[in-house]
Amino acid sequence: MSKPKPAPLPAGTVVGGYTVVKKLAAGGFGVVYLAEDGERHNVAVKEYLPASLAERSPGELTPRVKPEKQPLYRLGLKSFFEEGRSLAQISHPSVVSVLNFFRENETVYMVMNYLQGDTLQDFIVTARDLKRDKVFRESTIRSLFDEILRGLRIVHQHKMLHLDIKPANVFITNDNKAVMLDFGAAREVLSKEGNFIRPMYTPGFAAPEMYRRDGTLGPWTDIYAIGACIYACMQGYPPNDAPQRIEKDRLALSLSRLRNVYSDNLIEVTEWCMSLDPLSRPQSVFALQKELARETERRYTKLSFSERMKLQFESLKAGAKT
Amino acid sequence: MRFNVYQVSRKGGRQKNEDRMGYCYTRSAGLFALADGMGGHPEGEVASQLALQTLAAMFQRDAKPVLNDPIRFLQEAVLAGHHQLLRYATDRGLMDTPRTTIVACVLQGKAAYWAHCGDSRLYLVRGDKLVARTRDHSYTELHGALAQSGQPLPADLHRFNRNVLFTCLGSPGKPVVDTAGPLQLQPGDRVMLCSDGLWGSIGDPTIVQMLADRPISDAVPELAEQALRQAGAKSDNVTVLAVEWEGAEPQDNPQAVSTRSLGDEVFASTIQASLAAGEAQGDELDDAEIERSIREINEAIKRSSQKKP
Repeated sequence: MSKPKPAPLPAGTVVGGYTVVKKLAAGGFGVVYLAEDGERHNVAVKEYLPASLAERSPGELTPRVKPEKQPLYRLGLKSFFEEGRSLAQISHPSVVSVLNFFRENETVYMVMNYLQGDTLQDFIVTARDLKRDKVFRESTIRSLFDEILRGLRIVHQHKMLHLDIKPANVFITNDNKAVMLDFGAAREVLSKEGNFIRPMYTPGFAAPEMYRRDGTLGPWTDIYAIGACIYACMQGYPPNDAPQRIEKDRLALSLSRLRNVYSDNLIEVTEWCMSLDPLSRPQSVFALQKELARETERRYTKLSFSERMKLQFESLKAGAKT
Repeated sequence: MRFNVYQVSRKGGRQKNEDRMGYCYTRSAGLFALADGMGGHPEGEVASQLALQTLAAMFQRDAKPVLNDPIRFLQEAVLAGHHQLLRYATDRGLMDTPRTTIVACVLQGKAAYWAHCGDSRLYLVRGDKLVARTRDHSYTELHGALAQSGQPLPADLHRFNRNVLFTCLGSPGKPVVDTAGPLQLQPGDRVMLCSDGLWGSIGDPTIVQMLADRPISDAVPELAEQALRQAGAKSDNVTVLAVEWEGAEPQDNPQAVSTRSLGDEVFASTIQASLAAGEAQGDELDDAEIERSIREINEAIKRSSQKKP
């Protein structure tokens, strides 16, 4: 594809009373800018500007959309609104808050809190490169997910699902708060009759029902992703994706590698969250929170001789394949 | 070609809205279609969506940029939708096939062509006159047609529930597809497609009058609203799509869709390719709705920031 990406707004541009400072990120949906409001406070401004549908030359403000692309452009706008709607209803420290929503330059903008820090994904990559046997300490994982789950519980209470929870969408601020980002996939689904746009999914973190057209999504779908995130925090890598697991499930095996490093309880909780059968998972965030908090005395079980052998065979096989 | 189009689909007191509608066009031809998935059989919304998708896909394949034979196209595309439904049921081992009605209209050159199966209707209004209307494939309308033609009525006709359809897509027998056209169009002609949720509670005279008196962008939502109000809490879903044909040649009306800007190969469609995206096509965002969404979001922001401790 030779089509150039639409140009971001240059620094200094004023939209809706916010002055653009710089571009922070660009994705398929549009561009996120660091901007200043009238009182010179930093905010993040997300501009709806789908790269495949809109064009904008450097220096221009208004994107151009070809008539034949209008229906899709409008459809995308709808999910942009959906994200705004989801976020607007929620006010919780663990969920990114939206401050304003406006229309200008024939497109729409969402103004959010500007967060300073890094994503959980960045932390995992940094930590795993240290090559210690633990990626994160168990107490870190427990308190991190306790915070995330508090936010997720509020999301579910608003009859919404996040549907794209993954380390790249969890932000750790410089003052050590976990904040969930990117509700682009979030849908108000619990109240609808299930006939809605199926969102995109991230392999490894998406529950098996996300791959199926008739799969019933629910809190358990986000809970699978939480389990996969805990897995990534322990292992340093995402788990196998659901279709792979359905074919041959190596989850129990790869989790057994973590025995004696992390407590039996944390490993069991991860496996519980990641059950392939939605009904076998914790059915609500509350149920999971209870289990994660029920930390009396951590038990660690060493691998038996035969389990160690089995692991070695597995890694030999895996090594031979690559 | 130049036309104005307006479509709306509203859920009545039913659990699901199994109505689907949409349109697609090339530089020289337009296809407008509406399907009403049937309750009492599995996955009505899949049926209506599949039928429309099949129609749109064949239109995209065949309209290059005109259809060689619009009537034949309509016959084949509607039947292809039927076969898709049978295949869908077989692939999934369903005990019963999803079923749907369908009505589709092709505007090409200066003429209209249409086809239907079941009781979703087409109305063609010129000035304040009803020029054409489809006859439902229901026992009621069959009765009426037979009586009018002076033919003897079958003795056992009273045994049938008059509102039951005797054909639809997805039924075991080969569906009956009625086609009509070409009908020469005049600028200003209105073609309206609707599900039984509309005509079930609003009579033809009101429908015709509304289409005659008001711009379609006004008439369509008003008709849908009236139908829902008339039918009350138990209302069927109401889906209406209307097109105003402005002429084969482009004119300067910025509101209308002009197909002139489309290249030979280009195809535009509101019918979603994916089954799962079914809901989204039900209501297109217009400017008023964008403004409303923004207002709603800002009100929600205000509410939740007040809640903040």
